[in-house]
Amino acid sequence: MLGKVKDIARTILAEKQADGILGLIKGEWDIVQPHIFENRGEMDALVIEPKWLLAKMAMAVLRSSPEGYRLAVVVRGCDERALTELVKRNQIEKERLVTIGIACTGEQASACICDRPYPQKLDCGDAVAGVDPCTLESVKELLAGDGPARMEKWASILKRCIKCYGCRNSCPICVCIPCKLEDQVWVETGVIPAEVLSYHLIRAFHLSDTCVACGACQEACPVNIPLLALQLSMREMLRERYGYEAGLDPERKSPILYDLCKEPAAGQTLPDWVNSLRRDDES
Amino acid sequence: MSPDFIKTICPYCGVGCGLVLKVEEGKVVGTYPDKEHPVSRGTLCIKGWSAHEFIHHRERLKTPLVKKGDTFEEISWNDAIALAVEKLKAAAVRHGGDAVGGLSSAKCTNEENYLFQKMIRMAFKTNNVDHCARLCHAPTAVGMGQTTGSGAMTNSISDLAGAECILIIGSNAAESHPIIMGEIYKAVDRGAAVIVVDPRKTAVAENAQIHLRINPGTDIPLLTGMMRHIIDEELHNAKFIQERMDGFEELKKFLRSWPVERAAKECGIDEGEIRKVAEMYAKAKDAAVVYCMGITQHACGTANVHAVCDLAMLCGQIGKTFSGVYPLRGQNNVQGACDMGALPNVYPGYQSVNDPAVKEKFEKAWGRELSREPGLTVTEMIGSAGKEIRALYIMAENPALSDPDVNHVLESLNKLDFLIVQDIFLTETAKFAHLVLPAVCFAEKTGTYTNTERRFQLLRKAVEPPGEAKGDFEIICLLANALGLDFSYKHPGEVMEEIALLVPDYGGIRFDRLEKAGLQWPCPDPKHEGTRFLHEGQFTRGRGLFIVPAYTPPFEKPDDEYPYYLNTGRMFAHYHTGTMTRRSAFLNREMEGPYVEMHPEDAMKAGIREGDRIRITSRRGSIVTAARITERVARGSIFAPFHFTEARANILTNPVLDPISKIPEFKVCAAKIEKEPNEKQEK
Repeated sequence: MLGKVKDIARTILAEKQADGILGLIKGEWDIVQPHIFENRGEMDALVIEPKWLLAKMAMAVLRSSPEGYRLAVVVRGCDERALTELVKRNQIEKERLVTIGIACTGEQASACICDRPYPQKLDCGDAVAGVDPCTLESVKELLAGDGPARMEKWASILKRCIKCYGCRNSCPICVCIPCKLEDQVWVETGVIPAEVLSYHLIRAFHLSDTCVACGACQEACPVNIPLLALQLSMREMLRERYGYEAGLDPERKSPILYDLCKEPAAGQTLPDWVNSLRRDDES
Repeated sequence: MSPDFIKTICPYCGVGCGLVLKVEEGKVVGTYPDKEHPVSRGTLCIKGWSAHEFIHHRERLKTPLVKKGDTFEEISWNDAIALAVEKLKAAAVRHGGDAVGGLSSAKCTNEENYLFQKMIRMAFKTNNVDHCARLCHAPTAVGMGQTTGSGAMTNSISDLAGAECILIIGSNAAESHPIIMGEIYKAVDRGAAVIVVDPRKTAVAENAQIHLRINPGTDIPLLTGMMRHIIDEELHNAKFIQERMDGFEELKKFLRSWPVERAAKECGIDEGEIRKVAEMYAKAKDAAVVYCMGITQHACGTANVHAVCDLAMLCGQIGKTFSGVYPLRGQNNVQGACDMGALPNVYPGYQSVNDPAVKEKFEKAWGRELSREPGLTVTEMIGSAGKEIRALYIMAENPALSDPDVNHVLESLNKLDFLIVQDIFLTETAKFAHLVLPAVCFAEKTGTYTNTERRFQLLRKAVEPPGEAKGDFEIICLLANALGLDFSYKHPGEVMEEIALLVPDYGGIRFDRLEKAGLQWPCPDPKHEGTRFLHEGQFTRGRGLFIVPAYTPPFEKPDDEYPYYLNTGRMFAHYHTGTMTRRSAFLNREMEGPYVEMHPEDAMKAGIREGDRIRITSRRGSIVTAARITERVARGSIFAPFHFTEARANILTNPVLDPISKIPEFKVCAAKIEKEPNEKQEK
């Protein structure tokens, strides 16, 4: 699979489909780190392990590079979904982005509790079945019980938070400037743990319809908070009610932003004021 | 040009996390966590994530500066080195080599620390070289050295995740060593019990099963009470003691005078609780003790360390995986600075200066006659400034904020004939210097740091230094050569090879072996894979030694005039004297200024509300700061972080020293509180 990734990458540079390729390099003494490959000669050192999410770096690279610079990114399923969301949200210009899609192994899918361990545009490797997080006992336990019970459970877990902002910093979709978590109205500065409602739930709800379940937040959490499970209920609800999943269809907008008026969820009645949200071009 | 990514090591605490710096057009513009790092594994704390922010700060020193009257003027490197040499030599000629002192730095690399102590020892035939370990883990180096033979953390950080019971004494790891806290939580998630001993209800205490809120400075009564109960119930590890320990009878005899009832009364903890935690620790298959400044920064700091070691050895919880004693080192390279002999009583590798064989070995290797008299410590050098010490060379340390009784420190610095400060910013200490040398930060140099688990790690240069600033390595070599020594090193790797020849435990350390994941010493030869835990089979000193802990209560207790206990320490968004963190925009946004924590009932009595300006006064001075009302502190206690130059907590602290390790009693002094008029009202 690695050989094929290298071949595709070389072709992309040769045919000038992109100016650089963001991937992982195994340098001197076997050190692996992110790298932008700009000439074909370097490509021998390209590797694809360990799993290292690159979407957020890709956005930062595109933002700081000159206009017209095109970047190819070696992506896994989660990376691709994140990039798709970033394009949908006008953070990345579609024309400047090329992807080389690789599939994760079953082992990796289990480690990440990922139910879609492959990109839509799969270039290398075979797609394997994922793991549905909702079927796992550990996740079920986290989401069990009524509201107050869940609140109590999560408050005791989130009490560990050391406010490193790693969940926000690593999240490929967290792109707001300024960030609400830096607004003292919501989040008190200078104390830990961060407040459950104002820090963690603001973050969770901001991402409710864009979270691509990449797990970057959870991986970056030094105190082992199961942050992925926090997003799960909302992702599930969007899937059930609207058949919507973030990062899959580049053309389809989030039902929360757009489809609330056009296609209310089954069994839901919308209040009258929703009419005021209707846009002229929709009438 | 597209950005580069450079792997390196975090410059803040002793955990030594892996960073990936993003470099664009010669500037570090971002920090990412290193997924492959053996300790941090893709995680960072708030300081690590912000590590790039101070690097290109406009206040970085760019040229050497010389004091003219009350201001500084730029001078050339040639003139700066010539001036430094002239003044250092003058002090040595007029008053003897022992009139020169050097403060090395726990922020600098191993190679720089090695060269620094080598230069001071060779050029001036004095052992007056020390560094800020004196203010943090000097009692650990001495105390653990006496009991086990090695002053270093016995096990690896990752071992904590496998422990069944973790006793945390005087460590706020959630704020000060957050990545280690993560390992502790891993153990909790696997069912381990965590017991926290701390006068403050820290985030660590909030997340523990049991929090023992002891009276300040009563760690020894608590630990002796626990040991007494363990022996009474015959829960000690008799086999381990018989096979591997000395001094058990003396310890037992001492414990006879400490029934649990007496211990309970002294430390303010219920007897039942003491018995319960003693049993939890003693009965666990693998139990670990984590400790930090709450143990060491007392006038009985070394005895506190003895007590911690005694407990671990009594239960045989040392010399195996998932157990052990974990002193959490503060600075990124404080372990290394100690290892490299930046201490007044030992050469590199803790080889004693007054051992004739050791002295001869170093004289032969370095080609100069050396002194066999142990030198002065940090606090002694500053205390004797203008008297025994006439010229002081400070590399990247900031005693004007970090030492106790700061007003006295400032007076002392003013008495020096000549003060050289080498740093990256014009620190509070540098302002007192006659000569300031601009050095480089972690992202601008190559070398090694040793983290708290004895892991040598490689630092990689990401960008060029600002202006004419030079690496500490190069500056020391320039100075040493100008002082007539032959320091013709081209690369830090050469220095490491020299160290490997002189210190058996580092014999296998080579730069090209550190690239991937570093190496944990002892690593005696180039094939050795490093050592995950110490004292397997036998202690470094042979047999382990129980030492009867000599308890002394805090020197100052609250009285009518100074009715509060004052405790000092760190908070999560800042680091030590704030030289770097307060110049980091994101960290400064998180915490802009100083504060003091006080209990709601105390605040109500004094008519103080959240955010009010209050004056704290101790017998040594006073500061004005903002009140933060919280139950984190106990009634009758207040807590002030020491990061803030505008309200230096160390103006208040007590310089009384532990007689053995010479650490000051930072953790306890008596203070009073008064409400200050509001700034606005004043106008």
